[in-house]
Amino acid sequence: MTQVPEPSSKRPADSQFVVRRVYVPKEQSLPRRWLSFMRANPLFTIGLILLTMFVGLATIGPFFVGDPLRTNITERFSPPSAEHWFGTDVFGRDVFARTVHAARLDLSIGLTIAFVAMVIGSTVGVISGYFGGWVDEIIMRLTDVLLAFPGFVLALIIVAALDESLLNVVIAVAAAYVPYFIRLTRAQALVEREQEYADAAQLAGNSPFRVAFRHVMPNSLQPALVSATLVTGWAVLTVAGLAFLSVGIQPPQAEWGVMVGEGARDIITGEWWTSLFPGGMVVLAVMAFHFIGDDLTEARA
Amino acid sequence: MSLFRATGLNVEVTGSPYPILREVEFSVEPGEILALVGESGSGKTMAALAVMGLLPFGIDMTTGEVKLEGRNLARSDGTVERDASQISMIFQHPVGALNPTMRVGSQVARAIQFNQHVGRSSALQTAIEMIGHVGIPGPEQVARRYPHQLSGGMCQRIMIAMAISCKPRLLIADEPTTALDVTVQAQIFELIKALVEEIGCGVVFITHDLGAVAEMADRVTVMYGGQVMEELPVAELLGRPKHPYTRYLLESVVQEVDHRIEDIGVDFALTGCRFGHRCLLAHDSCNEYPTLEEISPGHRLSCFAEKAEAP
Amino acid sequence: MKRVATSLLTILGIVVVVFFIVRVLPGDAAAVRAGPYANQELIDRIADKYGLNDPLHVQFVDYVSGVAQGDLGISIRTNQSVTRELLDRLPASLELAVYSVILATAVGVSLGVLSAHRQNTWIDRLSRIFAVVGSAMALFWLGLLLTFFFAFTWRWFPGPVDRLAVGSEDPGTYTGFYTIDGILSGRPDITVEAFRYLVLPVITLAFVLAAPILKMVRSAMIEALDSDFVRTAKAVGVPRTQILFVDGFRNALIPVTTTIGIVFGFMLGGNILVEFLFSWPGIGRYAFDAITTRDLEALQGFVVLVGVMYVFLNMVIDIAYAVIDPRIRLGGGITK
Repeated sequence: MTQVPEPSSKRPADSQFVVRRVYVPKEQSLPRRWLSFMRANPLFTIGLILLTMFVGLATIGPFFVGDPLRTNITERFSPPSAEHWFGTDVFGRDVFARTVHAARLDLSIGLTIAFVAMVIGSTVGVISGYFGGWVDEIIMRLTDVLLAFPGFVLALIIVAALDESLLNVVIAVAAAYVPYFIRLTRAQALVEREQEYADAAQLAGNSPFRVAFRHVMPNSLQPALVSATLVTGWAVLTVAGLAFLSVGIQPPQAEWGVMVGEGARDIITGEWWTSLFPGGMVVLAVMAFHFIGDDLTEARA
Repeated sequence: MSLFRATGLNVEVTGSPYPILREVEFSVEPGEILALVGESGSGKTMAALAVMGLLPFGIDMTTGEVKLEGRNLARSDGTVERDASQISMIFQHPVGALNPTMRVGSQVARAIQFNQHVGRSSALQTAIEMIGHVGIPGPEQVARRYPHQLSGGMCQRIMIAMAISCKPRLLIADEPTTALDVTVQAQIFELIKALVEEIGCGVVFITHDLGAVAEMADRVTVMYGGQVMEELPVAELLGRPKHPYTRYLLESVVQEVDHRIEDIGVDFALTGCRFGHRCLLAHDSCNEYPTLEEISPGHRLSCFAEKAEAP
Repeated sequence: MKRVATSLLTILGIVVVVFFIVRVLPGDAAAVRAGPYANQELIDRIADKYGLNDPLHVQFVDYVSGVAQGDLGISIRTNQSVTRELLDRLPASLELAVYSVILATAVGVSLGVLSAHRQNTWIDRLSRIFAVVGSAMALFWLGLLLTFFFAFTWRWFPGPVDRLAVGSEDPGTYTGFYTIDGILSGRPDITVEAFRYLVLPVITLAFVLAAPILKMVRSAMIEALDSDFVRTAKAVGVPRTQILFVDGFRNALIPVTTTIGIVFGFMLGGNILVEFLFSWPGIGRYAFDAITTRDLEALQGFVVLVGVMYVFLNMVIDIAYAVIDPRIRLGGGITK
């Protein structure tokens, strides 16, 4: 029997009326709540599990597996076995060890790229959206030009023009995704700057820059943060794709794309494990990011 | 025999313990306009969708009888088998209720084509006639237009043309003028009344505007929180309504008593009379469900308080 | 008309960006071009030949005027006109692209419509899983997987060699599409063969492209089917199939068209991977060769071409919008 706020005009003094309710939800214990959450969001849960697995693999994995660069010609091309879980490649290197080390590389690169792209893109986007006018116009035109290239192609030319180094790969791929973040935060900034708190901050005497960065920006970041997971997935995919073509990251570095590239020709002679395992890891990792990112985007909408 | 009689309508969200509509009933006599009155959230649109068989995905009618000229259109699984020549409906936001990528003439013609089983070209001809019939000048030109090129009033006329072209026995009009200007409102009312005269159909006129009720209706059914509160002739509504909620409505409009401070909305989790938690006359027996009972000819009431009090 | 102007501006922007990236970024351009084995004399000669010692703005003007006339420069590697080489390879890429988009659209649209129509049934669940997997899929891995199983293990389709078997004659060139040219020049067997070689790369591409299409079709259809005008159509008695297509699909078409445009754009990039993997002689392959040999002229040319195609594509899509949606075509204009 719960109370309902009483209307201000009073009932007759002798009224004994108390409302009765049909259904009162009962408290669920914590584990049950988790279970129902998991059942309601199966993909998200899978994504989370996969992601945890990958993070674990990336952080502590390399301490437990063998040396990814150690070659052993006598053992070349051995199929998956108890000793070499993913088999060995053309130089006799343990594919599993390489895969695990590659996990660390790929995931950290992906995260870095997404982070850099988000930071740069969001800043530019907020500036563009908040200040408007010709600043906005110029930034938008530039973004359009950048977006005229498919991301992969853009990253490709940038890496090709610069030297082959890890830093340049990060720069190149981040550059491909910066426009995306610009657009996203700009749209949100356009909404936020019309809100009351923005006016209030301005009236309080803050300089436009302060208003933009201390007040509007934090609120405009939300869609960008949500997308960051998806972008991490795409970043990993792009980096691996480039590495597959031996652009950016090259053999003998242990990177998933590189391994697929090296192993591609082994397929002809039937040694599928050198390329299909690392490639499979890429797919799994990106799927994990997608499962999580998709659910987050849907939840926000 | 009534032209139309819906009884025992129970509608709920699939899998939820709270009913959206409980034991709702309303009826229409031949040539009569019944007003279905209530605030937003009272369930009047749901009731209409239920008898039309148009309940959205995830909402079901668990029980109910929908009798048109004696025949029950409701099936045992809660669906309603109805075609447009039996009951037809027009909706609230006319421009949005028409397909934006299709010319209005074709949309009317579609209705005719599928209900009277005639060919496309003759259906189009008839459609143009109907468009002219509902008071739109230059029907041939208008028929070639798209909905976004027409005003709200014209789109509503088009919808009426669509509904009427099937020559229904009952027309349901869900707040047809709420989104329109007052001057256009009057025109639409006139149009509906004229059509009722001409075709002899019954009308269920859904609204929350008591002024419209006064102008259009013969009889009124008052709903709140998915339950029917009272059913009475329009003269008595304006004169001496009995139900606390009806009186409350009237006060808000006629005497401009400000009830806003009490506005706490419908609580679907309550048992018994849904108006109970706001009603000044509520007492313990109001936790039971009241039923509609006739207190005078043509006037039915669903309330416990009135019995406790002397009339 | 305004669209044409903005498009031209964008093309100009593209050229500028490419130019800057290639010439202005760190690294001695001439040395890079000459390759790691060059000596100073060679580097100087190349610098001269390509005008790399001229002031930057001169280089830029040279290049732009060249582009405007369709001249994209000379490939360092092959000494041929870049334009010529690109145009030679364009039909191969287009053939691959067109078939992939057709397949992806067919699959994406049908599954999307079905999925929206019968939500929460097994087909809906399956479609959604397919959509997620497809958008996360690594093209190079999928291509390898398919090749391994279908080309090598089971030998249903030929391996990644080219567009036709080695030794097969070229059909006479009418469209550049081997599948069509085969029929046009009276050699249907070539058409069949071309199709056999197309199957694996097309499936690989279509798998990934279908995912965003499916997602968009599904969500746009659901939104359209939820709308008021669908309710009116149902009230009036329009049969369900017609509602699905005329009311549902026609109104879902705009966002779907946008997505197809995006997909085409993605494909211009994905092409590099797939063409490499399947040894397909298209512009993507050319670009890759250009990269590995540091043939920056050719790479520049490729990027400009891709940019131009993309801009052109956007124009086509804008026109498509006008055709589909009368609101865009005719503007507001309320008559009384």
